[in-house]
Amino acid sequence: MGKLIRDILEESEKKYAETAAVRWLQKKEICERSYDGVMKNAASVRKGLLAEGFSGKHIALIGTSSVEWIECYLGIITGKAVAVPLDAGLPAEDLTDLINRADCEGLFLSPRNKALLSAVGESCPRLKKVWLLQEEEPETADGRTASCTELKAASVRAGLTDERPGSEDVATIIFTSGTTGKSKGVMLTQNNLASNVEAVDYTTEPGSTVLSVLPIHHAFCLVMDWLKGFSLGVTVCINDSFLHMVKNMSVFKPKVMLMVPLMVEMIYKKLAGADPAIPGPVLARKVFGGNLRIIFTGGAHLDPFYIEKFAKLGVAVYEGYGMSECSPVISSNTEEEHRAGSVGRPLSNVELAFEDGEILVKGSSVMKGYYRMPQETAETLKDGWLHTGDKGYLDEDGFLFINGRVKNLIILSNGENISPEEIENKLALNALVGEVIVTGENNGLTARIYPDQDVIAGKGLNEEAVKAALQEFLDQYNKNQPTYRQITGLIVRKNPFIKSSTGKIRRQEAE
Amino acid sequence: MIMTKEMQFKMIAAQYCKVKPEEMENSMRFREDLGFSSLDFMAFLGELEDTFDVELEEEDALQVLTVGEALELMERLQQEA
Repeated sequence: MGKLIRDILEESEKKYAETAAVRWLQKKEICERSYDGVMKNAASVRKGLLAEGFSGKHIALIGTSSVEWIECYLGIITGKAVAVPLDAGLPAEDLTDLINRADCEGLFLSPRNKALLSAVGESCPRLKKVWLLQEEEPETADGRTASCTELKAASVRAGLTDERPGSEDVATIIFTSGTTGKSKGVMLTQNNLASNVEAVDYTTEPGSTVLSVLPIHHAFCLVMDWLKGFSLGVTVCINDSFLHMVKNMSVFKPKVMLMVPLMVEMIYKKLAGADPAIPGPVLARKVFGGNLRIIFTGGAHLDPFYIEKFAKLGVAVYEGYGMSECSPVISSNTEEEHRAGSVGRPLSNVELAFEDGEILVKGSSVMKGYYRMPQETAETLKDGWLHTGDKGYLDEDGFLFINGRVKNLIILSNGENISPEEIENKLALNALVGEVIVTGENNGLTARIYPDQDVIAGKGLNEEAVKAALQEFLDQYNKNQPTYRQITGLIVRKNPFIKSSTGKIRRQEAE
Repeated sequence: MIMTKEMQFKMIAAQYCKVKPEEMENSMRFREDLGFSSLDFMAFLGELEDTFDVELEEEDALQVLTVGEALELMERLQQEA
């Protein structure tokens, strides 16, 4: 019999009732809410959803980290509904597509993303209700938009019997980039999430502070900062913007932080660029806030160089490995057992195997499948073994090393997975783009384009004009994309790409 | 010596890249010419907020591509403040 996230949270509510669960900045004031407060609000959301007929329904969340976001998320997954967190930075057309593909009937929307209301109104016919996070009264009177306060008020309706999900029920659907050009909805069950929370081997005393800097729709942030954090009774502090990450480390003085390698690299640049006359410990206190002891990294490979440099300043950096499909942690270095260059030993609930060098994973954290994608599910999950698409090996002491990827996904060091086909399909819509391949270089994306020769001849464009027109098109494209999906490099090819016998571009020979 | 705002700005930018403040031209692009990662750029803007006492909106900030454009934005925000 598996466990529920709700079991874990109820235990924490009892043990840490008065401890601060969440801390955040409002203007320049630090605000906080206790475990008791957060869990009570989550219960009101859960009962409100039940009262409004959303039991068992799929509900999307769009917004950056906030106490209301996490309360609503917990409200969904402690009942029988399914939470679908989406990247608030995506263009409206992508968000409405994901809402439709995940069959969402409800949406929690941050007021900052209110511009989306008209798009979802037009393009998401299944969506019955939109609740605005962090706002008392919605300005729009379309009958479909309401506030969270109204939803919570519905929870006191008489005759409701609180529901508990089953441990094999899907709790959440998390979208990930796919190599087929369409992102896939990873279905994670209650037991998937709960067993990952329990198997990750780290502990800290209740009331310790964690500064959450990664996007909350990411499995790594959602499960490790929030769900794991709440299981230990820690205080999760919200970084309001990447603009303020360094400053917020001084404001909240975290003990533990989860990062992607890009963040570690950025902080190192700051340390290295500082006045050499400042003594190490003083500098570390200034940059890290004074209490930082542990950084967990994941999402992309971290150069061991940084581990050594940070260790000298009293901060341990532990690299791990995971993917949304595994809820997400597969292996991690820990305080007791770590090896630089490795991504640690597999978690206790995980079994590993290798097929032609590819890492296969089995265990209680492995997803149920991709939502409404039976073919992709069958290709990834075979006899209970998840095919990761990564190549690696175990050393003689059981530490896992990653040495390459099988799939076409580009992983930037900010941990974002980019599916090149998804972007190429969009770029190819421009008449001037004959053939295109997107590659990841220097932490950004480069588009290699072979222009359409008929269009060039028709318009009588010279080499310079072609490049200018393509750059202008890319600048236009970039404006609607989150930073990690923007194209920062352009290479105009003089020759077409080499193709396979079936006419497909041979990606490996594109560069 | 009184440091100009522009020099102060370029000294902060220089912490994130290998280009010296005096060699930094206004037409240079943060990503392509100075080698900033997206996160370097955000952290840099955060420092500018503190140094010049202005508040930036992430959306405005993301429209900025060159050193000159960032300087203009800071100038405008300081005047509005």
